[in-house]
Amino acid sequence: MRFSRRLVIGTASVAAFLMVWQFVGQREIVRSDLISYPTEVFATFAHLTATGELGTNAAVTLQEFIEGFVPSIVLGVIFGVVLALVKPVRELLDPLLTAIYTAPVIAFIPILVVWFGVGTYSKVVIVFISAIFPIMINTRVGVSEVAEPWLRAVRSFGADQLQIVTKAILPGSMPAIMAGIRLGLGRAIVGLIAAEMYVSISGIGRMIQVYSSAARAAEIIVLVVVIAVFGYVCVTLLRGAENRMGTWRSDLE
Amino acid sequence: MAVGSGVAPLRPVALPKFRSSSEATVLGILGIVLFVGLWELAAQLGWLNPVILSSPSRIAVAFAGQWQSGQFSADLGVSLAELAIGFGSSAVAGVAIGIAMGLNRTTEYALDPFVWFLYSTPLVALYPLIVVWLGFGFATVIAIAFMLTVIPIVVNTMAGVRAVDPSVVRAVRVFGGNSRDVILKAVLPASLPYVLAGFRIGLSRALIGVVLGEMFSSNAGLGFRMTVYAAHLKTADVFVPLVAFVIIGIITTQLAIMLERRLQSWKT
Repeated sequence: MRFSRRLVIGTASVAAFLMVWQFVGQREIVRSDLISYPTEVFATFAHLTATGELGTNAAVTLQEFIEGFVPSIVLGVIFGVVLALVKPVRELLDPLLTAIYTAPVIAFIPILVVWFGVGTYSKVVIVFISAIFPIMINTRVGVSEVAEPWLRAVRSFGADQLQIVTKAILPGSMPAIMAGIRLGLGRAIVGLIAAEMYVSISGIGRMIQVYSSAARAAEIIVLVVVIAVFGYVCVTLLRGAENRMGTWRSDLE
Repeated sequence: MAVGSGVAPLRPVALPKFRSSSEATVLGILGIVLFVGLWELAAQLGWLNPVILSSPSRIAVAFAGQWQSGQFSADLGVSLAELAIGFGSSAVAGVAIGIAMGLNRTTEYALDPFVWFLYSTPLVALYPLIVVWLGFGFATVIAIAFMLTVIPIVVNTMAGVRAVDPSVVRAVRVFGGNSRDVILKAVLPASLPYVLAGFRIGLSRALIGVVLGEMFSSNAGLGFRMTVYAAHLKTADVFVPLVAFVIIGIITTQLAIMLERRLQSWKT
């Protein structure tokens, strides 16, 4: 009942917004090259897809994203566990890592381009450093909050160090790790698009930059929506993975 | 998750502690000193290409140069002003919209799709359109910072309003309070921890907005200066605004955390 009311009102308000936008844009009440209108955006999407321009550039961006994001998950979790379990390392590095974590990582884009060039490499690196800090810090917090009884239980059954990590620490801190991955995902997407816009040879961000110098609102809106949908799909996949792990976790408990 | 279709509010609990003991403080400072020292050593011994990686001493010299010419303080002033106006306007608008969405289901359902969209969109991509409206520079940077900042504040305020104990609202009503009293005396105080957590995440996003806005659509400020130096391969000079951004990030986050802690201890 409640859900359907949410759906009805939400759909109605989006529909109203699209209609006003269509009217204002198409009738040139506001210059349509600045705001475009829904049917033009849709036609532009079809055109960009048909010419293959969207697909080619999206593939480049997706590849940069995966090449940066996957290592950031693996290394972020490993470093996070080490930070949580090895006290001297944690105390030595905590202020330094907190500083980088709170810093706007996108400010590193110009220097990364100097270091890694205008090609895909600098984008992979920005994805990596955007994502790894939230993952690492969340893992570290999650691991240090794993309940002591769990650890005692696993130890009392004679588990070795590796088993303690894989059987108690990782499952116990999984919600925090997933929260870190979600946070890292958002930052990585913004960092990647900003880096491509800053300077690049191909990719969605590059397309945005090209069309912006031609003041093409329709193309820019298509690209922005494509990125938003990509982010939504990733978050949904993560939620699905999280829920499956959640049931696995409750089995464990 | 009680609210929204996809945007989770930041919980106002379990703030990470920056330092735990004096031993940790000493080790932490040692960590930073070691990092800077190794970097300098590697540069001095010629292991690193100074044009590409620079070195702490070169950055210090670059900072002195920018400071003496007045360039640094001018850029810093512009960036801080954009940060303050961008964050301040988002705080006011975000709390107002968040309360409206929290108190009224219909408002929430109607605005929720837009909140979700703005939250999950890299808004910087829209900067070309904003530039056409607001021109190159100050106003555009503030607009980008505003769009990035307002959403987490809305989401958190709404979550805070939902967390208000209905019996407190009833009590205000029973004593003859009107809607204004309910908001000022019951809703705002009770949702304050959530609102402050929203401010904390909002502050860091406002800073990101300023950096992005200045990098792409400005002719002044630390972010703009960084891109100019980078284009001229003046690596040491690029690091000066970069380090300034890092320090601004640390200071604003710590201030927000201190404020939250103070409020929590006052409540208990």
